[in-house]
Amino acid sequence: MARIRLEHVTKRFGSVTALNDVSLEIADGEFFAVLGPPGAGKTTLLRTIVGLEKPDAGDVYAGDERITDVFPGDRDIAIMFQNLALYPDKSVYDNLAFPLRQAKLPKQEIQRRVAATSSTLHIDHLLRRKPAKLSGGERQRVALGRALVRDPRALLLDEPLSALDALLRLEMRAELKRLQRDLGRTLVYVTHDQVEAMSMPDRVAVLREGSVQQVETPEKVYHRPANRFVATVMGSPPMNFIPATVHVSNGSLRVVHPSFAIEITAGLEPARPLEDGAPCLVGIRPEDTRVAAGGDGIPGLVYASEPLGGETVVDLTLGDRVVKALAPPTLVFAPDDAVRITFDPQRLHVFDQAGDAALSAAGAEGMFHVHVATG
Amino acid sequence: MASIRLQSLTKDFDGLLAVNNVDLTVPDGDFVALLGPSGCGKTTTMNMISGLETPTSGEVWFDDRPMSTVPPGKRSVGFVFQNYAIFTHMTVYGNLAFGLRVGKPRPSKTEIDQEVKRVAEIVGVEQILDRKAGRLSVNDMQKVALGRSMIVRPAIFLLDEPFSNLDAAFRAYMRAELKHIQREVGQTMVYVTHDQVEAMAMADRIAVMNLGVLQQLGSPLEIYDRPSNTFVAGFVGSTRINFLPADRLPLASPRGADPRGLTLAIRPEYTRIVPPDSPEATIGVRVNLVEPLGAKDVVHLSWESYDVRTLSTPGARPRIGEHVGLALDSGHVLHFDEATGQAVE
Repeated sequence: MARIRLEHVTKRFGSVTALNDVSLEIADGEFFAVLGPPGAGKTTLLRTIVGLEKPDAGDVYAGDERITDVFPGDRDIAIMFQNLALYPDKSVYDNLAFPLRQAKLPKQEIQRRVAATSSTLHIDHLLRRKPAKLSGGERQRVALGRALVRDPRALLLDEPLSALDALLRLEMRAELKRLQRDLGRTLVYVTHDQVEAMSMPDRVAVLREGSVQQVETPEKVYHRPANRFVATVMGSPPMNFIPATVHVSNGSLRVVHPSFAIEITAGLEPARPLEDGAPCLVGIRPEDTRVAAGGDGIPGLVYASEPLGGETVVDLTLGDRVVKALAPPTLVFAPDDAVRITFDPQRLHVFDQAGDAALSAAGAEGMFHVHVATG
Repeated sequence: MASIRLQSLTKDFDGLLAVNNVDLTVPDGDFVALLGPSGCGKTTTMNMISGLETPTSGEVWFDDRPMSTVPPGKRSVGFVFQNYAIFTHMTVYGNLAFGLRVGKPRPSKTEIDQEVKRVAEIVGVEQILDRKAGRLSVNDMQKVALGRSMIVRPAIFLLDEPFSNLDAAFRAYMRAELKHIQREVGQTMVYVTHDQVEAMAMADRIAVMNLGVLQQLGSPLEIYDRPSNTFVAGFVGSTRINFLPADRLPLASPRGADPRGLTLAIRPEYTRIVPPDSPEATIGVRVNLVEPLGAKDVVHLSWESYDVRTLSTPGARPRIGEHVGLALDSGHVLHFDEATGQAVE
C-alpha cells in the first residue's frame, strides 16, 4: 500500500495537452476518484501513474519513491481497464493465476493467493468457469481479482462500471465501496459519472481539459464548487445558473436580476473581486429551488414538468432562462401555470464573469437575503 | 400527424422471438416511450413501425391504413438516432434546409428560409446556422439532427436513444426541451430508451418491455406507483425498490389475502430510519453503507438476509454498523405473487 503523488505533471500528444501541470496527492488507503467529461485527460492520468505514458514534465511518486522512470511492470501498481481484457479461453482460476505465474511464484503460493482473492470477491464458486459463462457483474469481479491478486500497492480503475446495465451498476457501486473499505487499499477511480464520483470516494478531483479544477471530499465539491464547470458536472439535474448584475453601493453588495435581488450581508468577503455593474451568475441547485402555486416567491411560468416518481423536476421560465426545481410528486403542475419560485438562501452561489465562485452561502448563515422585485 | 396501432406484432429472428405478440395504441399527438433493458425488443418494435424490419406476423397501422405494403420511405416517419445523422460538410443551415429542398413540391426560397429559422429556434441552433456541422460539439450535432428530422413535419417522429452519447447536464437540459417541443409541435412521438429517468420525465405514456413482451402501458406515475409486476417495479425507480417476504412483516395483505406466497415491495422513499425502540419501527435493520448523492443519501441496510435501501437527508446520516429501526409507510406498500411476479391488489 502506498501514497501516490503527482508533481507538476504535463503530458502532450502533438499539439494537444492531455495533462496540464497536474499536482495531486493521494493518501495511503484512500478511495480517490477522478471525474471529468470524455477528453478531460482522466485515462492519461491513470496511464501516467501506472507507467504506460511518460510525462513530458513533472514526476510521479509512490510512497517516497520517485517512479517516473520505473518500468510499468516494476511499479507494483495494478490497473483495470474498462473492457476488462479477460482471457476468454482461460478459466477464472487461470485468469487470476496468470499474473502470479508471470511473476514465477511457487505453485502453492499461487493457490493460496487465488483462493484468498476469490473468496474476498465472492467468486470462489466460479473458479472453473470460462469468462463467457459469467454474468457482467461476475466478469467485473474476476477482472478486479486479477488486478488484486498480486497484492499491488495501489489499484487503478478506468470507468469500471460503464459497460454494465443500470441495475447492476447500482449494485456494483455499493459493492466496490464496501470492498475498498475492507481491503483498505489505495484506489484511484476514473469516471465520467457524477453519481459514482459523488457516492463512492473519500475525495474527488475534477478534471477539465487536462487541468485539475478542484480536489475535495465529494460533499465539499457539491456544496462549494470552485467554479461553474465543477458545479455543472457534479449534481443531477445540474445547478441552475441565472445571469444577474453586481451592485455595489456604500460598501454593501447586492446581486440584481430583473425579478429578484440578493442582498449580501456586510462582512462576507468575496473570493473573487465583484465590481459594481459587472455581470455575474447566480447558482442554485434544483433541490434548493422551490416552486409553489402562490405565496411570496419570484413569479415564473411552468415550462415543462418531469415526473420521476419519487420526485418531480419542474422546469420554470424565469426571464429568458429555464430553471429546474425539484418538487414532491404530490405537487402537479401543467405547462404555462403561473407559479412562485423561492431559493434556499443558505444554498446560493455567486459566480463571477469568468465562472469562478466568488461567494457561497454555504456555511455563512443568514448572510444572503433574497428579495423579490416588485412592480 | 397520425395515430399508431400495433396489432399482435411479432418478430421472430430464426427462432429468437425479439418481439412477441405486442398490442399497443399510440393516439395522435401522444409521446410514448418504449422502455426496457438491452435486448428487450424495443428497437425491433420501432424498426417495424418505420418499416426497416418486416413483422413475422401482425400489423402496423397508421390511423386506419395498414403499413405492411408501404415502403419505409413512403411512411412519413422522421428519425433521430443515437449517432447524429447529419451532413458534416454542410452548414447547419444546409442541414436543416436539406429535407425541404429535396421535398415535393419544393417550397420557395423564402418559405425554406422561414421554416429553417423557425425550427432552428425551436431546437436552439439559431446562433450557429452558418457553422459547418462537422465542427460542432456533439450536443449541437444532436440538436441539428433533431431539427433536420422535425422540419419535414413527418406524421410520426421516432427517436432511438437520441441522447445516450451526450453528457449528463445536456441530457437533463434536452429532456425539458424535447418535452416542450413535442407539446408545441403536437407530433406523435415514439421514444426508445433504456433510461427510466428519460422515459418518466418526458413521456405521456410508457410501454415497458422485457424479453420481447409488453409488460405494462401507462402514464409515468401509474408505472411508478402501480407496477403490474416485479420486473416493472424493479426496472423503474432511481434507487431500487425493496422486495421483502410479506408473511414476515406486520403489514396487512390486500383484501386480507394470505401473505404466504406474496412478495411485499416498497420504494426507498416510503421508508424512513427511526430509533430502534420507536413504535414506528416496522423492522430492525443494520446500516451497511451510506452513498451520498448530494441532495440525499442512499442508505443500504440489511434485515436478516435481505438488502434494504432507504433515503435520508445528509444532515441525519446514520453510522455504519449501527442498528436502527425502519418505518415502512403502509400506504405505499405493493404486493406481488411470489410465483408469477404479478401484482396482487
